[in-house]
Amino acid sequence: MKYALLVASFLLCLALLMVGWVEARRLEPVSLTPTLTGEVEYCLTCHADLPEISASHPVETFGCVRCHGGERLALDADLAHSTMRGGANPSDLEVVEASCGGSDCHSGSEADHRDHISRVMTSIQATYAGAIANIRYTFGAQPDLTAHFGISAITDPDSQTGLTALEAFDPANEHPSIQQFGANCLTCHLNAAPLEGEAYARSTGGAACHGTAEHTLSLAMPYTQCNTCHNRGNYDLRTMTFVPRTDEPTQRVDDYYQPIAQFTQCEYTLDCVDCHTRAEAMGDGDLHPDQASIEYVQCKTCHGTLTELPLTKTLTDPSDLAFTLAFLNPVVELKLGDTILVTEQGEPLWNTRVLPNGTYELIGKVTRQYFTFRPVMGTACEQNPDEQESHFCHACHAVEK
Amino acid sequence: MTISRRDFLKLAREGLLWLNGALTLGGVLRFLAFEAPPAPPTEISLGSATRYPLHSRTVLEDIPAVLLHTESGFTARSLTCTHLGCALAQAPGGFTCPCHGSEFGDDGGVRRGPAEHPLLSLRVEQTPAGELILYLV
Repeated sequence: MKYALLVASFLLCLALLMVGWVEARRLEPVSLTPTLTGEVEYCLTCHADLPEISASHPVETFGCVRCHGGERLALDADLAHSTMRGGANPSDLEVVEASCGGSDCHSGSEADHRDHISRVMTSIQATYAGAIANIRYTFGAQPDLTAHFGISAITDPDSQTGLTALEAFDPANEHPSIQQFGANCLTCHLNAAPLEGEAYARSTGGAACHGTAEHTLSLAMPYTQCNTCHNRGNYDLRTMTFVPRTDEPTQRVDDYYQPIAQFTQCEYTLDCVDCHTRAEAMGDGDLHPDQASIEYVQCKTCHGTLTELPLTKTLTDPSDLAFTLAFLNPVVELKLGDTILVTEQGEPLWNTRVLPNGTYELIGKVTRQYFTFRPVMGTACEQNPDEQESHFCHACHAVEK
Repeated sequence: MTISRRDFLKLAREGLLWLNGALTLGGVLRFLAFEAPPAPPTEISLGSATRYPLHSRTVLEDIPAVLLHTESGFTARSLTCTHLGCALAQAPGGFTCPCHGSEFGDDGGVRRGPAEHPLLSLRVEQTPAGELILYLV
């Protein structure tokens, strides 16, 4: 009996010391109560060293859990992370609605320009509809280039393009070459994990485009961000494999993968986002059959033609989208009364201005550099106004590579 | 000095029991001494009303709020944006949200979205001793 008491005392003592040891090792929680949620969270106990994700998402307002999910009061890493959405990337399209959605956030109304998620979901970068149709047509799986499939099934009954639905593409049901396409080449849509290698390093979903650095979302996306998909190499249709580029460009004009392509100075000097609009890149809310049907900015958008000046708009409404975009990426201070260029669809090219002398100015959204340029009208250009595709302009203005 | 096996075991047993008692007592005291983090204050003393002269407009950054002293008395408005809750910054003739660009006039009204609702009015009372109390709820 006395032995039993001794052993029990020893075990109890051991247990108490272990509890004390575990308690002593327990992290002192760093508490944050974001104004948006009003709920205490302890994520900063371990993650206080992360950079602010963006000026629009300060941690004091949003905290971490609103976007990432997770167990807000857990101090054990595994438990805290067990219910996170999308791993480290809550903008992955599988979870983006729960992470970034909400009528005040990124799934609001089209009129308020807060319909980002629905636009991305129907965008060609998410559906990859054109590439899929092209490959299926090439291998005889469909009689024409009509888009029938997307990466995921999606419907858009109100689509202005006439394309109202896409079925989910399943390579398993296809010709072996198309299956190879699925396995080897289907890697540059927003749902796909990137290829291995620093040149391809990107995230998925919204962060594929906006995630310009660790835990950083930006609207000032350099061309190198776009290049993680658009500069990688080429598809070899004979072997149905992706062939990464092997050269290492030393100057910007060679930073694009098509070896025979021509580029004008602005195409290899500016960043992609300086000219290509949010609707082109992120979608306009309608399903599109291919890239060509949503890509509409041309040389004439900024330069006009021999017979027409580029379209402009004078800002008279403080609620104009141009002011919002200029606020979110403050490279230029727009004022009421400023005249800017607009696309044929009416999208503001908010980083441009019409100067008093009739020329134009563009401010780099990433570089913040100022560029001035002239309209074609009144110059010696002999271009037929009806022939405005870039290759016509390249005939005179391109730099041969 | 030698100690018998029986005495050693007795000493060990009693020592362990005392140690267990001490550890348990320490744990209980630690438990009893625990203080939960204080709840956010619902009212804040702003000090003497004489610190805020007539026609003054005082931004209270820590709250954040703005205290106005007009002929009709003291009033206050929250400087938390009604869109998503960012703290507002001062701007000519009002306040602006550094997160998404909402703008509010000095009267708290929305001048520019995305915020849709005016700034929240906060109650201010003056005690008989002349102290201003700001009520956050």
